[in-house]
Amino acid sequence: MNLKELFPRNQVIGFVFSLILTAAALTVYFLDLSFQAGMTVLLVTAFIQAAVQLVLFMHAGETEDKGAIYTNIYYGVIIALVTIFGTLLCMTWGYI
Amino acid sequence: MKIDHSLPLEYSTEENRLKILGFWIFLGAEIMLFATLFASYFVLADRTGSGPAGSEIFELTPVLIETILLLTSSFTIGLGIHAMRIGNKKAMMTFFAVTLLLGLAFLGFEIFEFFHYVHVGAGLQTSAFTAMLLTTLGTHGAHVTFGFFWGLAILLQVKKRGLTPETTNKSFIFSLYWHFLDVVWIFIFSFVYLKGMM
Repeated sequence: MNLKELFPRNQVIGFVFSLILTAAALTVYFLDLSFQAGMTVLLVTAFIQAAVQLVLFMHAGETEDKGAIYTNIYYGVIIALVTIFGTLLCMTWGYI
Repeated sequence: MKIDHSLPLEYSTEENRLKILGFWIFLGAEIMLFATLFASYFVLADRTGSGPAGSEIFELTPVLIETILLLTSSFTIGLGIHAMRIGNKKAMMTFFAVTLLLGLAFLGFEIFEFFHYVHVGAGLQTSAFTAMLLTTLGTHGAHVTFGFFWGLAILLQVKKRGLTPETTNKSFIFSLYWHFLDVVWIFIFSFVYLKGMM
């Protein structure tokens, strides 16, 4: 069995990239960053990792349903962000 | 049944294609479910009452091991789908089995972690923080547990029936579910654990 055939290049690269992003996120633990800097690092690494999974591993854009799939995911993410930041706004930040 | 041979087997009929689209819509709803859990967690993360804070009970090593296990299982199921598409049933089944074993190892660590939390006095009823923490982690863990049995059933079906439009479609949909659980874990790892230990 040809190993190259079973381990497609882009998936291996995606996996290594995910590990690198995990390591990058760990810097907030080992370095003494401010809260804002730490959260920025985490937001960037988490969302890039999520995108790697969606595009590379989940094949979100490979058929004619691409438009419907991405619209649905964007909709889900927007509702998620509105829920989270809306909740924080009225439950936490508004009282500081 | 009209089979389009220009597409991978799991997309080969219209029904198959629509099932995959339908599952994406389900995942959209799952994103919102976890969003409500994260929203509640962020609000309650500092409400520790007389119980411990996150920084006192989180430990990096087991969390990092859980992360690597789930990340690797997401990679191996991706390889499983690739093997399925080139028609290599044996390799596909091996990758799926490895994925499920990694998932099981993840669950083992998580159950151990839960025992540890209860042991150090951070149970479900200790404080608003621990209640929400365990609910969020538990919802993800319950998804992984369900996924393990679902994946096992699919593996048995593939073994019995081979790679057909039906079994490949089920396997592909299961892979979407599994990748999604990894995405959720990335956010738990970043915004529950790392944020808590920062």
